[in-house]
Amino acid sequence: MADTDVVSEVTGSVWKILVAVGDSVEADTPVVLIESMKMEIPVLAPDAGVVTKILVAVGDPVSEGQAVVALGT
Amino acid sequence: MTIKAKLNELETRKAKALAMGGPEKLSRRRAEGNLNARERIDKLLDAGTYVESGLFATSHLPEAREKTPADGKIAGFGKIEGRPVALVSNDMTVMGASSSVVNGKKIRHMREVATRSGMPLVFLGESTGARMPDRMGAQGRAILGQDPAEYQRMRQSPWVSALLGSCYGSSTWYACMSDFVVMRKGAQMAVASSRVTSMAINQPVDAEELGGWKLHSETTGLVDVVVDSDEKAIETIKRYLSYLPSHNNEAAPVHDVPAGADEAGKRILDIVPADGSKVYDVRKVVEAIADPGSVFELKARFGKSLSTSLIRLNGRTVGVLANNPMFKGGAIDVDACNKATSFLVFCDSFNIPIVFLVDQPGFLIGLEGERRAAPSKIINWMNALSLVTVPKISVIMRKSYGQAYLNMGGGRNSDEVICWPTADLGFMAPEVSVNVLFGVKKEEDPARYEELLQQVTRDTSAWNLAALYETQDVIDPSDTRSCLISMLDVHRKRMGSEVGRHLLSNWPTSY
Repeated sequence: MADTDVVSEVTGSVWKILVAVGDSVEADTPVVLIESMKMEIPVLAPDAGVVTKILVAVGDPVSEGQAVVALGT
Repeated sequence: MTIKAKLNELETRKAKALAMGGPEKLSRRRAEGNLNARERIDKLLDAGTYVESGLFATSHLPEAREKTPADGKIAGFGKIEGRPVALVSNDMTVMGASSSVVNGKKIRHMREVATRSGMPLVFLGESTGARMPDRMGAQGRAILGQDPAEYQRMRQSPWVSALLGSCYGSSTWYACMSDFVVMRKGAQMAVASSRVTSMAINQPVDAEELGGWKLHSETTGLVDVVVDSDEKAIETIKRYLSYLPSHNNEAAPVHDVPAGADEAGKRILDIVPADGSKVYDVRKVVEAIADPGSVFELKARFGKSLSTSLIRLNGRTVGVLANNPMFKGGAIDVDACNKATSFLVFCDSFNIPIVFLVDQPGFLIGLEGERRAAPSKIINWMNALSLVTVPKISVIMRKSYGQAYLNMGGGRNSDEVICWPTADLGFMAPEVSVNVLFGVKKEEDPARYEELLQQVTRDTSAWNLAALYETQDVIDPSDTRSCLISMLDVHRKRMGSEVGRHLLSNWPTSY
Protein backbone atom coordinates (compact mmCIF):
# COMPACT_ATOMS: atom_id res chain seq x y z
CA MET A 1 0.00 0.00 0.00
CA ALA A 2 1.17 3.54 -0.74
CA ASP A 3 2.66 5.54 2.08
CA THR A 4 0.45 7.98 3.95
CA ASP A 5 1.70 11.54 4.21
CA VAL A 6 1.54 13.10 7.64
CA VAL A 7 0.92 16.79 6.99
CA SER A 8 1.30 19.90 9.10
CA GLU A 9 -1.93 21.80 9.73
CA VAL A 10 -0.06 25.06 10.29
CA THR A 11 2.62 27.20 8.72
CA GLY A 12 5.75 27.48 10.89
CA SER A 13 9.17 25.94 11.30
CA VAL A 14 10.25 22.50 12.43
CA TRP A 15 11.09 22.63 16.12
CA LYS A 16 11.67 18.95 16.90
CA ILE A 17 11.40 15.62 15.12
CA LEU A 18 10.00 13.06 17.53
CA VAL A 19 10.27 9.85 15.49
CA ALA A 20 12.86 7.99 13.42
CA VAL A 21 12.54 5.83 10.31
CA GLY A 22 11.34 2.40 11.36
CA ASP A 23 9.39 3.58 14.42
CA SER A 24 5.86 2.23 14.83
CA VAL A 25 3.31 4.87 15.77
CA GLU A 26 -0.32 4.77 16.83
CA ALA A 27 -2.97 7.11 15.42
CA ASP A 28 -2.73 10.58 17.00
CA THR A 29 0.93 10.13 18.02
CA PRO A 30 2.85 13.43 17.68
CA VAL A 31 5.58 12.89 15.05
CA VAL A 32 6.97 16.41 14.63
CA LEU A 33 6.66 19.65 16.62
CA ILE A 34 6.14 22.79 14.56
CA GLU A 35 6.95 26.16 16.07
CA SER A 36 4.21 28.55 15.05
CA MET A 37 2.47 31.45 16.75
CA LYS A 38 5.01 31.05 19.56
CA MET A 39 3.76 27.58 20.32
CA GLU A 40 5.04 24.06 19.87
CA ILE A 41 2.28 22.55 17.79
CA PRO A 42 2.32 18.80 17.28
CA VAL A 43 1.76 17.14 13.91
CA LEU A 44 -0.24 14.01 14.70
CA ALA A 45 -0.17 10.72 12.79
CA PRO A 46 -3.62 10.27 11.17
CA ASP A 47 -3.42 6.47 11.40
CA ALA A 48 -1.23 3.80 12.94
CA GLY A 49 1.81 2.85 10.84
CA VAL A 50 5.58 2.63 10.51
CA VAL A 51 7.65 5.71 9.74
CA THR A 52 9.17 5.22 6.27
CA LYS A 53 10.54 8.70 5.59
CA ILE A 54 11.33 11.90 7.44
CA LEU A 55 10.69 14.68 4.95
CA VAL A 56 11.91 17.72 6.91
CA ALA A 57 14.85 18.78 9.08
CA VAL A 58 14.92 20.83 12.29
CA GLY A 59 14.63 24.52 11.43
CA ASP A 60 12.99 23.98 8.02
CA PRO A 61 10.10 26.27 7.19
CA VAL A 62 6.88 24.30 6.75
CA SER A 63 3.69 25.47 5.10
CA GLU A 64 0.12 24.42 5.84
CA GLY A 65 -0.63 21.08 4.20
CA GLN A 66 3.04 20.15 3.72
CA ALA A 67 4.04 16.54 4.40
CA VAL A 68 6.59 16.14 7.19
CA VAL A 69 6.72 12.37 7.59
CA ALA A 70 5.58 9.39 5.51
CA LEU A 71 3.96 6.37 7.13
CA GLY A 72 3.77 2.87 5.68
CA THR A 73 2.00 -0.19 6.95
CA MET B 1 -70.69 -6.19 4.24
CA THR B 2 -70.83 -7.16 7.90
CA ILE B 3 -68.68 -5.46 10.52
CA LYS B 4 -66.71 -8.70 10.76
CA ALA B 5 -65.91 -8.54 7.07
CA LYS B 6 -64.91 -4.90 7.46
CA LEU B 7 -62.62 -5.82 10.36
CA ASN B 8 -61.11 -8.60 8.29
CA GLU B 9 -60.43 -6.12 5.53
CA LEU B 10 -58.77 -3.80 8.07
CA GLU B 11 -56.48 -6.61 9.20
CA THR B 12 -55.66 -7.61 5.63
CA ARG B 13 -54.83 -4.05 4.63
CA LYS B 14 -52.80 -3.55 7.79
CA ALA B 15 -50.77 -6.71 7.15
CA LYS B 16 -50.13 -5.63 3.58
CA ALA B 17 -48.93 -2.18 4.66
CA LEU B 18 -46.71 -3.60 7.40
CA ALA B 19 -45.13 -5.98 4.88
CA MET B 20 -43.46 -2.91 3.31
CA GLY B 21 -41.67 -3.67 0.03
CA GLY B 22 -42.02 -7.44 0.48
CA PRO B 23 -39.93 -10.27 1.95
CA GLU B 24 -37.30 -10.34 -0.80
CA LYS B 25 -36.25 -6.70 -0.44
CA LEU B 26 -36.42 -6.91 3.34
CA SER B 27 -34.19 -9.97 3.48
CA ARG B 28 -31.68 -8.31 1.17
CA ARG B 29 -31.41 -5.43 3.63
CA ARG B 30 -31.02 -7.83 6.52
CA ALA B 31 -28.19 -9.58 4.68
CA GLU B 32 -26.48 -6.22 4.24
CA GLY B 33 -26.67 -5.69 8.00
CA ASN B 34 -29.15 -2.81 7.83
CA LEU B 35 -32.27 -2.46 9.93
CA ASN B 36 -35.48 -1.83 8.02
CA ALA B 37 -37.57 1.29 8.53
CA ARG B 38 -39.91 -0.31 11.06
CA GLU B 39 -37.15 -2.02 13.04
CA ARG B 40 -35.50 1.38 13.37
CA ILE B 41 -38.69 2.84 14.84
CA ASP B 42 -38.93 -0.07 17.31
CA LYS B 43 -35.37 0.56 18.48
CA LEU B 44 -35.88 4.31 18.78
CA LEU B 45 -39.11 4.42 20.76
CA ASP B 46 -40.05 3.23 24.23
CA ALA B 47 -41.81 -0.12 23.89
CA GLY B 48 -45.54 0.10 23.22
CA THR B 49 -45.63 3.87 22.65
CA TYR B 50 -45.71 3.98 18.83
CA VAL B 51 -48.82 5.34 17.11
CA GLU B 52 -48.67 5.43 13.32
CA SER B 53 -50.07 8.18 11.13
CA GLY B 54 -50.79 7.24 7.53
CA LEU B 55 -50.34 3.46 7.55
CA PHE B 56 -52.90 3.22 4.74
CA ALA B 57 -51.51 6.08 2.69
CA THR B 58 -50.27 5.16 -0.78
CA SER B 59 -49.23 6.85 -4.01
CA HIS B 60 -51.92 9.16 -5.38
CA LEU B 61 -51.57 7.40 -8.74
CA PRO B 62 -54.12 4.56 -8.90
CA GLU B 63 -51.72 2.33 -10.87
CA ALA B 64 -49.03 2.64 -8.14
CA ARG B 65 -51.25 2.10 -5.11
CA GLU B 66 -50.59 -1.61 -4.70
CA LYS B 67 -46.83 -1.22 -4.63
CA THR B 68 -46.61 1.77 -2.28
CA PRO B 69 -47.43 0.67 1.27
CA ALA B 70 -47.38 3.73 3.58
CA ASP B 71 -46.10 5.47 0.44
CA GLY B 72 -42.50 4.78 1.41
CA LYS B 73 -42.25 7.20 4.30
CA ILE B 74 -43.51 5.84 7.59
CA ALA B 75 -44.69 8.53 10.02
CA GLY B 76 -45.98 8.57 13.56
CA PHE B 77 -45.62 9.47 17.19
CA GLY B 78 -44.17 7.79 20.25
CA LYS B 79 -41.98 8.37 23.27
CA ILE B 80 -38.24 8.40 23.90
CA GLU B 81 -37.30 8.01 27.57
CA GLY B 82 -40.90 8.94 28.39
CA ARG B 83 -40.97 12.14 26.30
CA PRO B 84 -43.22 12.47 23.21
CA VAL B 85 -41.65 12.74 19.75
CA ALA B 86 -42.82 12.75 16.14
CA LEU B 87 -40.89 10.81 13.50
CA VAL B 88 -40.51 9.96 9.84
CA SER B 89 -38.75 6.72 8.92
CA ASN B 90 -37.88 6.29 5.25
CA ASP B 91 -38.64 2.88 3.79
CA MET B 92 -36.16 2.18 0.98
CA THR B 93 -38.02 -1.02 0.07
CA VAL B 94 -40.95 1.04 -1.21
CA MET B 95 -39.93 2.90 -4.35
CA GLY B 96 -36.65 3.91 -2.72
CA ALA B 97 -38.52 6.09 -0.18
CA SER B 98 -38.79 8.61 -2.99
CA SER B 99 -40.65 11.86 -2.37
CA SER B 100 -44.25 11.89 -3.57
CA VAL B 101 -47.40 13.97 -3.25
CA VAL B 102 -48.86 11.82 -0.47
CA ASN B 103 -45.75 11.17 1.63
CA GLY B 104 -45.00 14.89 1.42
CA LYS B 105 -48.35 15.45 3.16
CA LYS B 106 -47.31 13.00 5.87
CA ILE B 107 -44.06 14.85 6.53
CA ARG B 108 -45.91 18.16 6.62
CA HIS B 109 -48.32 16.81 9.21
CA MET B 110 -45.44 15.57 11.39
CA ARG B 111 -43.76 18.98 11.17
CA GLU B 112 -46.92 20.84 12.07
CA VAL B 113 -47.85 18.58 14.98
CA ALA B 114 -44.29 18.54 16.39
CA THR B 115 -44.24 22.33 16.32
CA ARG B 116 -47.75 22.84 17.66
CA SER B 117 -47.44 20.25 20.41
CA GLY B 118 -43.83 21.05 21.33
CA MET B 119 -42.07 17.78 20.66
CA PRO B 120 -38.83 16.84 18.92
CA LEU B 121 -39.05 15.60 15.32
CA VAL B 122 -36.81 12.72 14.23
CA PHE B 123 -36.00 11.85 10.61
CA LEU B 124 -34.57 8.40 9.99
CA GLY B 125 -33.08 9.20 6.62
CA GLU B 126 -32.54 7.05 3.56
CA SER B 127 -34.09 8.17 0.30
CA THR B 128 -33.48 8.30 -3.43
CA GLY B 129 -34.94 11.75 -4.11
CA ALA B 130 -37.93 12.85 -6.16
CA ARG B 131 -40.25 10.06 -7.32
CA MET B 132 -40.15 9.42 -11.03
CA PRO B 133 -42.08 9.66 -13.24
CA ASP B 134 -44.47 11.61 -10.95
CA ARG B 135 -42.20 14.63 -11.00
CA MET B 136 -41.59 14.72 -14.75
CA GLY B 137 -42.77 17.57 -16.94
CA ALA B 138 -44.83 20.64 -16.17
CA GLN B 139 -47.39 18.51 -14.35
CA GLY B 140 -44.60 17.30 -12.07
CA ARG B 141 -43.67 20.92 -11.38
CA ALA B 142 -47.27 21.62 -10.41
CA ILE B 143 -47.21 19.10 -7.56
CA LEU B 144 -44.13 20.69 -6.02
CA GLY B 145 -44.04 23.72 -3.77
CA GLN B 146 -47.58 23.53 -2.46
CA ASP B 147 -46.37 24.34 1.04
CA PRO B 148 -44.46 27.63 1.15
CA ALA B 149 -43.20 26.77 4.66
CA GLU B 150 -41.83 23.37 3.58
CA TYR B 151 -38.23 24.47 4.07
CA GLN B 152 -38.80 26.98 6.84
CA ARG B 153 -37.19 26.38 10.18
CA MET B 154 -38.03 28.45 13.26
CA ARG B 155 -36.69 25.94 15.80
CA GLN B 156 -39.77 25.77 18.01
CA SER B 157 -38.79 22.18 18.78
CA PRO B 158 -35.57 20.25 18.10
CA TRP B 159 -35.15 18.36 14.82
CA VAL B 160 -32.82 15.42 14.55
CA SER B 161 -31.70 13.52 11.44
CA ALA B 162 -29.99 10.19 11.04
CA LEU B 163 -28.31 9.40 7.72
CA LEU B 164 -28.62 5.63 7.49
CA GLY B 165 -28.08 4.79 3.83
CA SER B 166 -28.14 6.55 0.50
CA CYS B 167 -29.58 9.98 1.23
CA TYR B 168 -30.54 12.13 -1.73
CA GLY B 169 -33.39 14.61 -1.99
CA SER B 170 -35.66 14.74 1.04
CA SER B 171 -33.37 13.03 3.59
CA THR B 172 -30.58 15.41 2.63
CA TRP B 173 -32.75 18.51 2.85
CA TYR B 174 -34.14 17.54 6.25
CA ALA B 175 -30.65 16.74 7.56
CA CYS B 176 -29.53 20.23 6.57
CA MET B 177 -32.57 21.70 8.34
CA SER B 178 -31.98 19.67 11.49
CA ASP B 179 -30.29 20.76 14.70
CA PHE B 180 -28.34 17.52 14.88
CA VAL B 181 -27.19 14.98 12.30
CA VAL B 182 -25.78 11.53 13.03
CA MET B 183 -24.37 9.51 10.12
CA ARG B 184 -23.71 5.81 9.86
CA LYS B 185 -20.45 4.93 8.12
CA GLY B 186 -21.31 3.63 4.66
CA ALA B 187 -24.21 6.06 4.26
CA GLN B 188 -24.03 8.95 1.82
CA MET B 189 -25.57 12.39 1.71
CA ALA B 190 -25.53 14.45 -1.47
CA VAL B 191 -27.76 16.57 -3.67
CA ALA B 192 -27.97 13.78 -6.23
CA SER B 193 -26.71 10.19 -6.35
CA SER B 194 -23.27 9.31 -7.70
CA ARG B 195 -24.99 7.75 -10.77
CA VAL B 196 -26.95 10.90 -11.59
CA THR B 197 -23.93 13.11 -10.82
CA SER B 198 -21.70 10.94 -12.95
CA MET B 199 -24.08 11.31 -15.91
CA ALA B 200 -24.34 15.07 -15.36
CA ILE B 201 -20.61 15.73 -15.33
CA ASN B 202 -19.71 12.89 -17.68
CA GLN B 203 -17.06 11.31 -15.50
CA PRO B 204 -16.93 8.58 -12.89
CA VAL B 205 -17.97 9.64 -9.38
CA ASP B 206 -17.26 7.67 -6.25
CA ALA B 207 -20.27 7.68 -3.91
CA GLU B 208 -18.11 7.81 -0.80
CA GLU B 209 -16.13 10.75 -2.13
CA LEU B 210 -19.32 12.49 -3.21
CA GLY B 211 -21.08 12.22 0.12
CA GLY B 212 -19.45 9.85 2.58
CA TRP B 213 -18.83 10.21 6.30
CA LYS B 214 -15.33 11.61 5.92
CA LEU B 215 -16.50 14.42 3.65
CA HIS B 216 -19.31 15.44 5.98
CA SER B 217 -17.54 15.02 9.30
CA GLU B 218 -14.22 16.62 8.25
CA THR B 219 -14.80 18.95 5.31
CA THR B 220 -18.41 20.18 5.22
CA GLY B 221 -19.17 19.85 8.94
CA LEU B 222 -22.78 18.97 8.06
CA VAL B 223 -22.60 15.84 10.21
CA ASP B 224 -22.26 16.12 14.00
CA VAL B 225 -21.50 12.53 14.97
CA VAL B 226 -20.37 9.48 12.96
CA VAL B 227 -21.22 5.95 14.10
CA ASP B 228 -20.71 2.38 12.83
CA SER B 229 -24.24 0.98 12.85
CA ASP B 230 -27.95 1.79 12.74
CA GLU B 231 -28.23 0.77 16.38
CA LYS B 232 -25.48 3.17 17.43
CA ALA B 233 -27.12 5.97 15.42
CA ILE B 234 -30.38 5.42 17.26
CA GLU B 235 -28.64 5.35 20.66
CA THR B 236 -26.91 8.59 19.69
CA ILE B 237 -30.24 10.28 18.88
CA LYS B 238 -31.59 9.29 22.29
CA ARG B 239 -28.47 10.56 24.02
CA TYR B 240 -28.59 13.87 22.15
CA LEU B 241 -32.23 14.46 23.01
CA SER B 242 -31.50 13.81 26.70
CA TYR B 243 -29.67 17.18 26.78
CA LEU B 244 -32.52 19.13 25.20
CA PRO B 245 -35.88 20.49 26.21
CA SER B 246 -38.81 19.11 24.19
CA HIS B 247 -39.45 22.60 22.83
CA ASN B 248 -38.04 26.11 23.04
CA ASN B 249 -40.48 27.27 25.69
CA GLU B 250 -39.01 25.22 28.52
CA ALA B 251 -35.64 24.62 30.15
CA ALA B 252 -33.60 21.48 29.39
CA PRO B 253 -34.27 18.50 31.68
CA VAL B 254 -32.21 18.27 34.88
CA HIS B 255 -30.43 14.95 35.48
CA ASP B 256 -29.04 13.37 38.64
CA VAL B 257 -25.43 14.24 39.41
CA PRO B 258 -23.19 11.14 39.54
CA ALA B 259 -21.26 10.53 42.77
CA GLY B 260 -17.74 11.96 42.83
CA ALA B 261 -18.56 14.58 40.19
CA ASP B 262 -16.23 17.13 41.79
CA GLU B 263 -13.13 14.89 41.84
CA ALA B 264 -11.72 15.21 38.30
CA GLY B 265 -11.90 19.00 38.26
CA LYS B 266 -9.32 19.17 41.02
CA ARG B 267 -6.74 17.67 38.65
CA ILE B 268 -6.99 20.35 35.95
CA LEU B 269 -3.47 21.60 36.67
CA ASP B 270 -2.14 18.19 35.58
CA ILE B 271 -3.75 18.74 32.16
CA VAL B 272 -2.94 22.36 31.28
CA PRO B 273 0.76 23.34 31.19
CA ALA B 274 1.42 26.77 32.72
CA ASP B 275 3.93 27.41 29.89
CA GLY B 276 1.86 28.91 27.06
CA SER B 277 4.13 27.39 24.41
CA LYS B 278 3.11 23.86 25.40
CA VAL B 279 -0.07 22.41 23.97
CA TYR B 280 -2.64 20.02 25.44
CA ASP B 281 -6.02 18.58 24.46
CA VAL B 282 -8.69 20.89 25.88
CA ARG B 283 -11.25 18.09 25.72
CA LYS B 284 -9.57 16.66 28.81
CA VAL B 285 -10.35 19.93 30.60
CA VAL B 286 -13.98 19.72 29.48
CA GLU B 287 -14.13 16.13 30.77
CA ALA B 288 -12.64 17.20 34.10
CA ILE B 289 -15.15 20.01 34.58
CA ALA B 290 -18.30 18.18 33.43
CA ASP B 291 -20.42 15.73 35.39
CA PRO B 292 -18.72 12.33 34.85
CA GLY B 293 -19.71 10.70 31.54
CA SER B 294 -21.75 13.69 30.40
CA VAL B 295 -19.56 15.11 27.59
CA PHE B 296 -21.19 14.84 24.16
CA GLU B 297 -18.90 16.38 21.57
CA LEU B 298 -20.36 17.73 18.31
CA LYS B 299 -18.44 17.98 15.02
CA ALA B 300 -15.33 16.51 16.66
CA ARG B 301 -13.50 16.09 13.34
CA PHE B 302 -14.39 19.51 11.88
CA GLY B 303 -12.84 22.88 12.78
CA LYS B 304 -10.86 21.01 15.42
CA SER B 305 -9.10 24.05 16.89
CA LEU B 306 -12.43 24.81 18.58
CA SER B 307 -14.18 21.99 20.40
CA THR B 308 -17.95 22.22 20.93
CA SER B 309 -19.79 19.94 23.30
CA LEU B 310 -22.93 19.53 25.30
CA ILE B 311 -22.17 18.65 28.90
CA ARG B 312 -23.97 18.57 32.21
CA LEU B 313 -22.82 20.69 35.11
CA ASN B 314 -24.46 19.76 38.36
CA GLY B 315 -27.13 17.92 36.33
CA ARG B 316 -27.93 20.85 34.02
CA THR B 317 -27.19 21.04 30.29
CA VAL B 318 -24.48 23.50 29.24
CA GLY B 319 -22.94 24.15 25.82
CA VAL B 320 -19.14 24.50 25.90
CA LEU B 321 -16.96 26.19 23.27
CA ALA B 322 -13.32 25.45 24.03
CA ASN B 323 -10.23 26.46 22.05
CA ASN B 324 -8.06 23.42 21.46
CA PRO B 325 -4.32 24.23 21.27
CA MET B 326 -3.71 20.63 20.17
CA PHE B 327 -4.92 21.59 16.69
CA LYS B 328 -3.45 24.58 14.85
CA GLY B 329 -2.29 25.83 18.24
CA GLY B 330 -5.91 26.80 18.93
CA ALA B 331 -5.88 29.41 16.14
CA ILE B 332 -9.45 29.89 14.93
CA ASP B 333 -9.94 29.10 11.23
CA VAL B 334 -13.01 29.51 9.01
CA ASP B 335 -14.37 26.05 9.85
CA ALA B 336 -14.04 26.81 13.56
CA CYS B 337 -15.90 30.13 13.03
CA ASN B 338 -18.80 28.39 11.29
CA LYS B 339 -18.85 25.74 13.96
CA ALA B 340 -18.96 28.37 16.72
CA THR B 341 -21.79 30.35 15.13
CA SER B 342 -23.82 27.24 14.46
CA PHE B 343 -23.37 26.11 18.08
CA LEU B 344 -24.28 29.51 19.58
CA VAL B 345 -27.45 29.65 17.46
CA PHE B 346 -28.38 26.14 18.52
CA CYS B 347 -27.73 26.65 22.26
CA ASP B 348 -29.61 29.93 22.32
CA SER B 349 -32.58 28.44 20.49
CA PHE B 350 -33.03 25.75 23.14
CA ASN B 351 -32.28 27.69 26.32
CA ILE B 352 -28.88 26.10 26.90
CA PRO B 353 -26.39 28.29 28.82
CA ILE B 354 -22.98 28.77 27.18
CA VAL B 355 -19.48 28.46 28.63
CA PHE B 356 -16.31 29.55 26.80
CA LEU B 357 -13.00 27.97 27.76
CA VAL B 358 -10.46 30.34 26.27
CA ASP B 359 -6.90 29.67 25.17
CA GLN B 360 -6.36 31.05 21.69
CA PRO B 361 -3.63 32.93 19.80
CA GLY B 362 -6.13 34.68 17.49
CA PHE B 363 -7.79 33.94 14.19
CA LEU B 364 -5.76 31.88 11.77
CA ILE B 365 -4.77 34.47 9.23
CA GLY B 366 -3.65 33.60 5.72
CA LEU B 367 -4.69 33.33 2.09
CA GLU B 368 -6.93 30.32 2.60
CA GLY B 369 -8.98 32.10 5.24
CA GLU B 370 -9.43 35.24 3.15
CA ARG B 371 -10.49 33.20 0.13
CA ARG B 372 -13.13 31.60 2.29
CA ALA B 373 -14.50 34.95 3.50
CA ALA B 374 -12.98 34.78 7.00
CA PRO B 375 -13.96 38.38 7.93
CA SER B 376 -17.65 37.65 7.36
CA LYS B 377 -17.46 34.45 9.41
CA ILE B 378 -15.83 36.31 12.31
CA ILE B 379 -18.54 38.96 12.25
CA ASN B 380 -21.41 36.49 11.85
CA TRP B 381 -20.12 34.90 15.05
CA MET B 382 -20.02 38.29 16.82
CA ASN B 383 -23.50 39.18 15.60
CA ALA B 384 -24.82 35.85 16.85
CA LEU B 385 -23.05 36.29 20.18
CA SER B 386 -24.61 39.72 20.63
CA LEU B 387 -28.07 38.25 20.03
CA VAL B 388 -27.66 35.34 22.47
CA THR B 389 -29.99 35.70 25.46
CA VAL B 390 -29.01 32.59 27.44
CA PRO B 391 -26.41 32.95 30.23
CA LYS B 392 -22.80 33.16 28.96
CA ILE B 393 -19.70 32.66 31.11
CA SER B 394 -16.17 33.00 29.77
CA VAL B 395 -13.15 31.40 31.46
CA ILE B 396 -9.79 32.68 30.22
CA MET B 397 -7.38 29.85 30.97
CA ARG B 398 -4.23 31.00 29.19
CA LYS B 399 -3.88 33.26 26.19
CA SER B 400 -6.60 35.33 24.61
CA TYR B 401 -5.24 37.48 21.81
CA GLY B 402 -6.57 39.70 19.09
CA GLN B 403 -10.14 40.32 18.04
CA ALA B 404 -10.96 36.73 18.93
CA TYR B 405 -10.87 37.83 22.59
CA LEU B 406 -14.34 39.27 21.92
CA ASN B 407 -15.60 36.23 19.99
CA MET B 408 -14.70 34.07 22.97
CA GLY B 409 -16.84 36.18 25.27
CA GLY B 410 -14.33 38.83 26.39
CA GLY B 411 -15.45 42.26 27.58
CA ARG B 412 -19.23 42.49 27.93
CA ASN B 413 -19.74 39.69 25.44
CA SER B 414 -20.47 37.34 28.31
CA ASP B 415 -22.28 37.81 31.60
CA GLU B 416 -19.20 36.98 33.62
CA VAL B 417 -15.51 36.72 32.74
CA ILE B 418 -13.35 34.55 34.97
CA CYS B 419 -9.56 34.29 34.65
CA TRP B 420 -7.06 31.73 35.74
CA PRO B 421 -3.82 33.26 37.10
CA THR B 422 -2.16 31.91 33.93
CA ALA B 423 -4.32 34.18 31.72
CA ASP B 424 -2.31 36.14 29.15
CA LEU B 425 -4.11 39.04 27.50
CA GLY B 426 -3.05 41.21 24.66
CA PHE B 427 -3.53 42.03 21.03
CA MET B 428 -0.56 39.97 19.86
CA ALA B 429 2.62 38.50 21.31
CA PRO B 430 5.09 41.39 21.93
CA GLU B 431 7.81 39.53 20.01
CA VAL B 432 5.59 39.54 16.92
CA SER B 433 4.56 43.15 17.34
CA VAL B 434 8.20 44.37 17.25
CA ASN B 435 8.40 43.07 13.71
CA VAL B 436 4.91 44.30 12.74
CA LEU B 437 5.35 47.82 14.17
CA PHE B 438 9.03 48.48 13.45
CA GLY B 439 10.05 45.87 10.89
CA VAL B 440 12.90 44.76 13.13
CA LYS B 441 13.80 41.09 13.36
CA LYS B 442 15.74 39.65 16.29
CA GLU B 443 18.28 37.87 14.09
CA GLU B 444 19.04 41.05 12.13
CA ASP B 445 19.51 43.56 14.96
CA PRO B 446 19.38 41.91 18.40
CA ALA B 447 20.16 45.05 20.43
CA ARG B 448 17.52 47.21 18.75
CA TYR B 449 15.05 44.32 18.89
CA GLU B 450 15.50 43.95 22.68
CA GLU B 451 15.09 47.69 23.17
CA LEU B 452 11.87 47.77 21.14
CA LEU B 453 10.60 44.62 22.83
CA GLN B 454 10.86 46.34 26.22
CA GLN B 455 9.05 49.32 24.76
CA VAL B 456 6.02 47.36 23.45
CA THR B 457 5.70 44.82 26.25
CA ARG B 458 2.70 45.56 28.45
CA ASP B 459 1.33 43.93 31.53
CA THR B 460 -0.70 41.06 30.03
CA SER B 461 -1.69 39.52 33.35
CA ALA B 462 -5.06 38.55 34.77
CA TRP B 463 -4.34 40.95 37.65
CA ASN B 464 -4.36 43.94 35.36
CA LEU B 465 -7.65 42.84 33.80
CA ALA B 466 -9.08 42.22 37.29
CA ALA B 467 -7.99 45.69 38.48
CA LEU B 468 -10.00 47.18 35.64
CA TYR B 469 -12.97 44.93 36.53
CA GLU B 470 -12.86 43.43 33.05
CA THR B 471 -12.61 40.02 34.68
CA GLN B 472 -14.87 39.58 37.65
CA ASP B 473 -12.66 37.05 39.40
CA VAL B 474 -9.33 35.26 39.22
CA ILE B 475 -9.61 31.68 40.42
CA ASP B 476 -7.55 28.59 41.13
CA PRO B 477 -8.05 26.46 37.98
CA SER B 478 -9.02 23.50 40.15
CA ASP B 479 -12.06 25.51 41.32
CA THR B 480 -13.37 26.03 37.76
CA ARG B 481 -16.21 23.53 38.04
CA SER B 482 -17.58 24.91 41.31
CA CYS B 483 -17.15 28.48 40.06
CA LEU B 484 -19.10 27.73 36.87
CA ILE B 485 -21.87 25.98 38.78
CA SER B 486 -22.23 29.02 41.08
CA MET B 487 -22.08 31.56 38.25
CA LEU B 488 -24.55 29.71 36.04
CA ASP B 489 -26.89 29.61 39.01
CA VAL B 490 -26.46 33.36 39.56
CA HIS B 491 -27.24 34.07 35.90
CA ARG B 492 -30.20 31.71 35.49
CA LYS B 493 -33.04 33.55 33.78
CA ARG B 494 -35.45 33.17 36.65
CA MET B 495 -37.79 35.90 35.44
CA GLY B 496 -38.45 34.00 32.23
CA SER B 497 -38.46 30.43 33.58
CA GLU B 498 -35.00 30.01 31.99
CA VAL B 499 -36.43 30.59 28.53
CA GLY B 500 -34.48 32.98 26.31
CA ARG B 501 -35.81 35.34 23.63
CA HIS B 502 -34.66 33.20 20.69
CA LEU B 503 -33.52 36.04 18.50
CA LEU B 504 -31.48 33.55 16.47
CA SER B 505 -34.18 30.96 15.91
CA ASN B 506 -34.46 31.73 12.20
CA TRP B 507 -30.71 31.76 11.56
CA PRO B 508 -29.47 29.03 9.21
CA THR B 509 -29.31 25.47 10.46
CA SER B 510 -26.27 24.73 8.26
CA TYR B 511 -23.16 26.87 7.65
